[in-house]
Amino acid sequence: MSTVSRADLRRRRDLRFGVGLSLPAVAVVVLLLGYPMGYALYMSGFSWNDKLGSYHPFVGLGNYRDLLVDPAVHRALGRTLYFSVFTVLGGVALAVLIAVLLNVEFRGRTLVRVLLLVPWAVPPVVNGIMWKLIFDGSSGIMNTILLGTGLVDERVQWLADPGLTMNVLVFAELWKLLPFLCLLMLAGLQGIPTNIYKAARIDGANGWQRFRRITLPNLRGPIMFALIVQSMWSLKVFDTIYVLTGGSGGPAEGTTTINFLAYLTTFSNLDRGYGASLAVAAMVLIVLVTLMWVLLLGRRREDREEAR
Amino acid sequence: MPGPALTRRRLLSLSGLALGGVALSGCVSANDPASSGASGGTSEAPLKPGSAPSGEITIVDDNTNKLFQSSTIAAFEAATGIKVKSYSQGNFNDLHDRYATLFAAQDSSVDVVMTWAGWSAEFGQAGWLQELDTSAVPTDLIKPALDAVSWQGKVYGLPKFSSVQTMFWSKPLFEQAGVDPSAAPATWDEFVSTAKSLTSGDRYGYACDIGNAAGAYQNFLRVLLLNGGDMYDADYKPIFNSEQGVQALSNFVDLLQVHKVMDPSSLQITNASDLGDLFAKGGTGMVFNWPFQYAVATGSGSKLDASTVGNGLIPGMSVRSASIDGSEGFAINKFSKNKEAALAWLQFVATEGVQKQIVSQEGWFPVSEPVLTDPASVKALPVLTTYQESTQYATKRWGTPWSSELDQLMSVQIINAMNKKTTPKEALDTLATQTQALVDKYLKR
Repeated sequence: MSTVSRADLRRRRDLRFGVGLSLPAVAVVVLLLGYPMGYALYMSGFSWNDKLGSYHPFVGLGNYRDLLVDPAVHRALGRTLYFSVFTVLGGVALAVLIAVLLNVEFRGRTLVRVLLLVPWAVPPVVNGIMWKLIFDGSSGIMNTILLGTGLVDERVQWLADPGLTMNVLVFAELWKLLPFLCLLMLAGLQGIPTNIYKAARIDGANGWQRFRRITLPNLRGPIMFALIVQSMWSLKVFDTIYVLTGGSGGPAEGTTTINFLAYLTTFSNLDRGYGASLAVAAMVLIVLVTLMWVLLLGRRREDREEAR
Repeated sequence: MPGPALTRRRLLSLSGLALGGVALSGCVSANDPASSGASGGTSEAPLKPGSAPSGEITIVDDNTNKLFQSSTIAAFEAATGIKVKSYSQGNFNDLHDRYATLFAAQDSSVDVVMTWAGWSAEFGQAGWLQELDTSAVPTDLIKPALDAVSWQGKVYGLPKFSSVQTMFWSKPLFEQAGVDPSAAPATWDEFVSTAKSLTSGDRYGYACDIGNAAGAYQNFLRVLLLNGGDMYDADYKPIFNSEQGVQALSNFVDLLQVHKVMDPSSLQITNASDLGDLFAKGGTGMVFNWPFQYAVATGSGSKLDASTVGNGLIPGMSVRSASIDGSEGFAINKFSKNKEAALAWLQFVATEGVQKQIVSQEGWFPVSEPVLTDPASVKALPVLTTYQESTQYATKRWGTPWSSELDQLMSVQIINAMNKKTTPKEALDTLATQTQALVDKYLKR
C-alpha cells in the first residue's frame, strides 16, 4: 500500500514539476495568441465602429448574421476560393512534380536544389515589390519579353484589370511557396525505400505506374501536411496583396480576399466589430478546411490496423 | 488523505478558465464609457494655447516635407524651449492604419500626427483628435487650408501647407508635337486635341493616378468639378450622378477608350509621386498634379527644368477650370500628455517664417494669406500665380468620416467604367445609392 502511495506521490510531483516548467511557455502563448483571439471574439459581439462614437452596443451574433448576407463578403470569398484552389492544389501538384524531377540523379542536381530555395529566402514584401516591377504596365520586363517575342502587340496592363491582377497574385504566391512545398516533398521521397521501386521495375511497372502506385501513396503524409499548411497560408494571404496593390486590394477590389477585407474593414473603415467577426470567420474557415483535408487524406482506422 | 489528482482533464479546465479570465479582464473596459478615448474627449474643452508650454513632443509626419527635419525643428526648439524628442516620417498610404492603431490603443507616445481633410473628419468624429479653441487658430489662415483640418465646424489641427492641383505640361514635348508650348489648353476639347498631338508610340499625351482607392476618388472629383457638378448638396445628399457627373465620367473614360490619349498604366499608378516621376522623365506630356510636381520636374534626374515646365489652370469642360484641394496639416493626438507643447508646434509651423520656407524650399503653397500675396513668394515659386488664379474657381475635397469607404466603393466603379465593364451612368447610380447609405450611417443629423 505504502509503495503505491510513494509512486503516486512521485508521479504527482513530476507532473507538478512538468506543469511548472511549461507555465512560462503557456503564459506566452496565452498572452500573444489567446488574448488577441479572445479579444477579437469579444469585439465581434459588438457594433464597434469607432467613427460612430464611443458607445458600442452588444449585438451578439449580429455581425455574423450580417456577413452571411453581405455581398462584399461573398465576393471576397469567391476570390479567396479562386486564389486558394490555384495556390493550394496547383502549388502542391507542382511541388510533387518538381520534387520527383529533382529526386532523379543528374549532373548539377545539388545546385538546382540550392537555387530552388532562393524564392524562399526572399522576404514577402520584397517578393511583392519584385513582381509589381516585373508586371508594371509601362516599364515592366514581362511586357518587354512578350513584345520582344511577338506574343503581344501592345503592352498588357497586368495590374489595371481585376482578373489579370488576381492571376499575377497567384503567380507571385506560387513562386514564393513552391520552395517550401518542394522541400517537403523531397524529404518525403527520400523516405521511400528504393527497393520498392526496384521490385516494381522487375514486375514490369512503367514510370506512371510506379508514380501512382508507390510514390503518391508514400507521399500521402507530406501531401496532407502541405495541403493543410498551404491552405492556411492561402486563406490568410495578405502581404503580397498589400504590396502589389498599394494597400488597396484593387483594382476594383479584384484582389480583396476575405483576410484583406477584414483588414480594410478594421483599419481603413475603423469598423472593428465587423472586422473582428470577419477575422473570426476566416479562422473558422481555416479550421474547417484543415479538418476537410484531415478527413479526406488522414489515415483511416482500417489503414492503421492494416499497417500493424 | 491524498488531494484530487491533477488529471489532464482538470489541467485543461484550469487553462481554459485562466484563458477566459484573461480575455474577459481585457474586455471589460472596451464598452466602458470611462475608458473610451472618444468619450473622454467629448467632455474635454477645446485646447487653448498654454501660457508657457514646455516639455518634449513626438511627431509622426508623412514624407512630404524635408524642411522640418532639416531646419524647422531646431528653430522651434530654440524659439520655445520645447524639445522635439522624435520626428519620424512614413509613407502617406501607410499612415492611416498606423494612426488608427495608435489611437485605438489610446497610445500617448505620439503627440502630433499629420492630417488632411478626410482624416480630420474621420479621426475627429471618432474622438481621437484634440479639438482646438478658436484662440489657438491663427487669423491669417487661408480658408481651404483651414477646412483641411476641420469637420462640422470643429477645428482639429492647423494646416502646414496648402495644396491644389494644377496642370503641368512639358514644353519640349509640345514643341515636338507642333503645339504652342507657351499656352495651356483652355478648354477640354483643346486638351483632348493637344493630348492627341502628344500621343505617339509608347508615349501618351496624358497620365493620371487612379491605381488606388484615393486616386480614383480624386480623379473623379476633379472631372466632376470641371464639368460644373458636385459631390453632395447642402444636406449631404449625393448628387454626383447628375447629368454633369455622368458626362464628366464619360469624357474621362473617353480619354482612355476612345481618344486613346491616356496612358493605360494610369490605372495602376498608385500615388502622385510616381505620376510626378513619369512626367519629369518625359513619359507623358501633361499631368494634373499637386504643387510638388514643379519641384520634381525642375529637380535633379528630371528631363525638364524651370524654363521647360509649363504650368496653368486645369482646362474645364463646362466651366473654365476647377480643382481639388490636398492641403495637409498637423493635429494633436487626443491621448497626448503634452498637448500645449504640441499646439506650440502646430502654431510654429503656421507662422510666416516657416511658411515662406515651405514655399521657397519645398514648392508647396502657403497656408498664410500674407505669404500667399507676398511678391517674393511668387518669385520663389512661379506656379503660385496659377494657385492664385485657381481660387476664382471651385476647389473642393469633401473630406468626410466616410471617405475611406467611399474611396473603396468609388475605386470599384471608376475602374469598371474605365475598363468598360459598366457604363458611367450605371457606375455613378450604383455609387450614389451606396454613398447615401454611408451618409445615413455616419452623419449625425
